[in-house]
Amino acid sequence: MSEYFAGIDIGSTMTKVVIMNQAMLASVIGPTGPEHRKLANRVMEEALARASLSFDDITYVVATGYGRINVPFADKQITEISCHARGVGYLLPEARTVIDIGGQDCKGIKLKDGRAVDFVMNDKCAAGTGRFLEVTAEGLGVKLDDMGRLSLTAKNVVGISSTCTVFAEREVVAKLSDGVPLPDIIAGLHEAIAARIYGMVGRLKIEREVALTGGGAKNIGLVKALEAKLGYSVLVPPEPLLTGAIGAALLGRDIVKKTAENKIPLLRSERRLQEATLFT
Amino acid sequence: MPGESAGEGLAAADRYYRDYGCRARELKRQGKKIFGYLCAFVPLEVLTAAGFIPFRIKGDVNEPITKADTEMETIVCPLVRSCFDMSLKGNYEFLDGIVIPHACDSICRTYDIWKYTLNLPYSHLINMPHGTDDSSLNFYKAVLNTFRTSLSRFAGREISDQELTQAIGLHNQNRAKVRELYELRKASPPLISGAEIAKVLVAAMGIPIEESIEMISGVIDEVKQRGGVLASKPARIMVVGAQVDNVAFIQLIEDSGAWVVADDLCPGAREFFSYVDATDDPMDGIAERYLRKIKCGRTYREMKGNYQEYLEDRFGHMGQMIEDFDVDGVVLYIYKYCDPYGFEVPQIKSYIESRDTPVLYLEDEYSMSTIGRLRTRIQAFLELIGSK
Repeated sequence: MSEYFAGIDIGSTMTKVVIMNQAMLASVIGPTGPEHRKLANRVMEEALARASLSFDDITYVVATGYGRINVPFADKQITEISCHARGVGYLLPEARTVIDIGGQDCKGIKLKDGRAVDFVMNDKCAAGTGRFLEVTAEGLGVKLDDMGRLSLTAKNVVGISSTCTVFAEREVVAKLSDGVPLPDIIAGLHEAIAARIYGMVGRLKIEREVALTGGGAKNIGLVKALEAKLGYSVLVPPEPLLTGAIGAALLGRDIVKKTAENKIPLLRSERRLQEATLFT
Repeated sequence: MPGESAGEGLAAADRYYRDYGCRARELKRQGKKIFGYLCAFVPLEVLTAAGFIPFRIKGDVNEPITKADTEMETIVCPLVRSCFDMSLKGNYEFLDGIVIPHACDSICRTYDIWKYTLNLPYSHLINMPHGTDDSSLNFYKAVLNTFRTSLSRFAGREISDQELTQAIGLHNQNRAKVRELYELRKASPPLISGAEIAKVLVAAMGIPIEESIEMISGVIDEVKQRGGVLASKPARIMVVGAQVDNVAFIQLIEDSGAWVVADDLCPGAREFFSYVDATDDPMDGIAERYLRKIKCGRTYREMKGNYQEYLEDRFGHMGQMIEDFDVDGVVLYIYKYCDPYGFEVPQIKSYIESRDTPVLYLEDEYSMSTIGRLRTRIQAFLELIGSK
């Protein structure tokens, strides 16, 4: 009989679920929203349906991300640091440094043998995170998804000096009314974020290869700006949003394997997805 | 974690911790004079010798700083602002005087604000030097004698050498008790949790020295009765930082599944692990201890030898503690705008990491609102230690 493992990553902006056995069988990505306890259920059900499995088939569930404590059906909670490290170690074994750009935080992780050995995290304010881009995109009247592509056509990148999200929004709107072309402004924003992230992760002494994960890795303009700072190309997994959830599922698999080897009982939560909605 | 017990030592500590200042208020009603002070650099022996009760002013991480911001700029560290805020809000209305040392800039440069705003019958700044060389020591002795004279004038009587010697004996006895208590953390599991120790030491800051000795002795007796061995062996953590006068942060680490077994904190090992030597002039021993023996970022230590030797001179006591208490990881916990410790972060980190002990550096704001984001970092750090 095959064993199945689920990883659920509740980030500040997006909720991600994967189901794995030896490989990834199904994944779902949905917005987190304020009612993530309800949503955790729904995305899990959807992932199970895609994998044609029932919840009873899942051997072990690991929750991660900032909403990890609000997943009542998880067997274990593990921080996003360990999960991202494990996920990148699996997807991109050559990576030694991970830069994860999430919705409300940004982190750098040093890897050794596929495990985290050191990390830095910035979530004191929105600078250097997806939220910074969201707010400034809104100020510019541009869709977030178009930011990366647009920035590639920049001719004269402008400097954005505010790292405070609120002030930066004002700064870009002022530039726009001065007649600065949109791509030049957006490219300037990417450079500002890249500089901020590079400064923070630099404290870890960045080693090649560098893997980029999280929503920020889907923005080609930001990826290019970071590569320019580093002076070399970075690695991006096929779906950068799923790295944490994949790592969570894999850490679950590791736990099951270890308990079986040491012949100790596996502690699990009850397999009751429906009941969880009562928690709201 | 060790089980809860409700004996007199711990119960007393719990009472004094929860209602910080309750004992001072009682003593005030009995006619005693209570002297507030900031930081570990006020020589309490002199206050005790003069017959006054030293009372360390503490902040409150659960209380938003509101009143203080009208008097103090926000560049002042949040701990000092919280201490001042609590004073303005009437929590320490029983104080007869205040003594402030030239510890860090946030403390020294706000002395005038404390003096003129609180307007207590007695205010004094101890203008302590920052170097540890002989000329600094001579200067410091003169400064301490000025303090002694000023305090005598306020008391309306001389402070005799004999009284000083007696006070030194009491404070040393208290320090020895704290050391004895720390010994009980060396066991696995430690007989007393980090949160309990923090509670006892904070409680001790607000009661007379004789009562502190008695309370800590009571705690030691109670805790020694504990036993039991746990199957799992959580990571043993040491916390390094400035003044941590609330159990919440230590509790957060222990709730994340670790034991806090050692520290370099105030109140904590930094403040209690060094004694005043008996000297012909008791003020000599006091000066030597406060200037040279308390190893704190506020004191500048002259560079000696190569970089490794220099780090060993400054932080060797931390390395010793890591060894003695079998520490697996160090949490460096620094408040925003803390100048002495903020500047020292890279050196402390590189010193401890050079000994192959992992370090988690956290910058915080002296407020419970940050607990959520600290939790993720602490849990990740413990996972990282656990997978080593």
